[in-house]
Amino acid sequence: MTHTTTQGTQAAGQTPCAIRHRESIIGTYRTEVAIAVAIALLALAVGSQVPQALSWGNFANVTQAGAPLIIMSLGVLLVVITGGIDLSVGSVFSLTGMVTAQAMAYGYGGVAASMFGLGVGLVFGSINGFLVTIAGLAPFVVTLITFAVAGSLAFIVTNGRSMPIPDPDFWLLNSGSLIPGLPNYILFCLVLLVAIEIFLKKMVAGRWFYAVGSSAAAAYLLGIPVKRTKFFAYVASSLLASFSGLLTISYILNAESTAGSSLMLQAIAAVVIGGASLLGGTGTAVGAVLGALMITVIQNGVNLIGINSFWQGSVTGLAILIAVVIDRFSKSRRGAG
Amino acid sequence: MKNKLTTALILTAAIVGAGVGLTGVQAEEKKTVAYLAPSLDISYWQWVGYGVKKKAEELGMDYVEYTSENSPAKQMDNARTAVTKGVDAIVIGPVSSTSTPPLLAYLKSQNIPIAFAGIGPQPGQTDYTSSVTANNYETGKAQGSFVCKLAKDRGGSKVGMLSLPQDRENAQKYLKGAKEAFATDGCELAQMLETRGLTVNEAVTQANDMLTAHPDIKAIYGMYDEAGTGAAKILETRGLTGKVGIAVADGSPTTIGLLKANAIQGIFFQEAVGQGLDGTQQVFNALTDAPVTKDLALVMPLVTADKVDSPEAKAVVARVFPPSN
Repeated sequence: MTHTTTQGTQAAGQTPCAIRHRESIIGTYRTEVAIAVAIALLALAVGSQVPQALSWGNFANVTQAGAPLIIMSLGVLLVVITGGIDLSVGSVFSLTGMVTAQAMAYGYGGVAASMFGLGVGLVFGSINGFLVTIAGLAPFVVTLITFAVAGSLAFIVTNGRSMPIPDPDFWLLNSGSLIPGLPNYILFCLVLLVAIEIFLKKMVAGRWFYAVGSSAAAAYLLGIPVKRTKFFAYVASSLLASFSGLLTISYILNAESTAGSSLMLQAIAAVVIGGASLLGGTGTAVGAVLGALMITVIQNGVNLIGINSFWQGSVTGLAILIAVVIDRFSKSRRGAG
Repeated sequence: MKNKLTTALILTAAIVGAGVGLTGVQAEEKKTVAYLAPSLDISYWQWVGYGVKKKAEELGMDYVEYTSENSPAKQMDNARTAVTKGVDAIVIGPVSSTSTPPLLAYLKSQNIPIAFAGIGPQPGQTDYTSSVTANNYETGKAQGSFVCKLAKDRGGSKVGMLSLPQDRENAQKYLKGAKEAFATDGCELAQMLETRGLTVNEAVTQANDMLTAHPDIKAIYGMYDEAGTGAAKILETRGLTGKVGIAVADGSPTTIGLLKANAIQGIFFQEAVGQGLDGTQQVFNALTDAPVTKDLALVMPLVTADKVDSPEAKAVVARVFPPSN
């Protein structure tokens, strides 16, 4: 199939260099292309049942609903590439919302309150990073602990009550437009996607993440700062979880202590659907974003068609299974080739 | 002199001894009520607890609180712990109706009165002192009629519903009542979506998707408080505030704010504090051999935007959530 494409492009008069470049991109993003096709097919299938699914309005719904998961998934991806796991992101997400809302209730403005919120991410990310790298504890155990602590604090901050956001302009963070015509929630997703993808693929420090995830011992022998790389991954993961929490409370103008309870598993699922291995060493930002989009499209489709929402988990599980099988099949073919 | 001193000491000792004894008797007589909440991450169960505590204070009872963390096993453990620690009565918001038979059998063997609040016992069970719940069927019916009227006032007859999980008995009763009202009043339930997480965020997404699939929906029936908040948010985003009506069950400071802003047209208040107050009163009655009402199905009063500041509405709200909210 690739051969046919090459012939076609040669016929179009492109240089061999351009063809090789395109093939290289397709080869690098083979899994991501498959996910994008799957999302398109899924959307078409839903659209055949509910035509409004393919409307521009629904596209906006899906992207706005999916933006927090996309951003959280990008953070989780960084940890997963290094061979770790971050179970605390959902709780950090919730705690960020509660702290920010409480800060506003104490009279702080939206920007200052958001700094408090991001501080939650910084603190919990640093704790995770410290315990994993310096104390040498297992990432699963460490982030399970911080998941429990942050989740508990989310209740303690406001005694379990949900908090309305008192700053009338706070919605601008999510739904405003720093660039005219482009809602902020899309802008943030795009900027983070491009920045993280370039960081991972084009920058030396980004390549360290893959090296650490493939073999921390080998990376250490090569002089790669393994601990610093892992520490940075956990801090980035928590900070992005906090930012997605801010984005959510800006959208719904309400903070809830249980808001992030289902997001942690979704974020990990998104990363896996996107082609990352939980063993570390693989994964792309494009894949994570597409994985998050696929989960959001599934949720959207289930709602539009009117299927009982309890099926969402099963459908998402099936999507993960298909993605993993495709990825494995694709890798084995590449290996055989 | 020595005799006088001895006499004074004996008298002092007697008085102190009597005092200590009396205090001991009083302490022995002070009853303790335990509140077993299914979880305290939902405001509703905190508010029931507030009602139990408030009534306990009024009645001179001590108050202790246990959380079952949505686990029937933990609920049973909590009941045993409470009995071991010597509580005299229990008010419970059970994890589920079906989780209660072994608990009731145990408390009967220990001769401990128990009142249900919010969620009742499993049908067929009788070994309880009192059950103070909302009348979900009648409320579902009344809310269904109100929602249908909202739709018709807006030139349509299609309504959407953001439902509690339908594996809950109270949700089934709400739905049954609502469907009957829709059939009677000439409205069509275009779509019902069930919540999983009971969060505003989920309700926002569901309301958005529902309106995308059924743009001709003219009113939304929210079966729980967060549904109302989420639906109101989406109507605001779509510029449909007031053009699509919303009626919600439960009630909270957030939805009252939305009611005052005309983003929601009606709230059917579930008297969380009231259920705690009434449940505690019933177990106290059982302890003091006063008359007990076995089943109290509280009506969920409707408060509309135009009446939200009336004294009647304020009296209702006082039985919904604590004043600190």
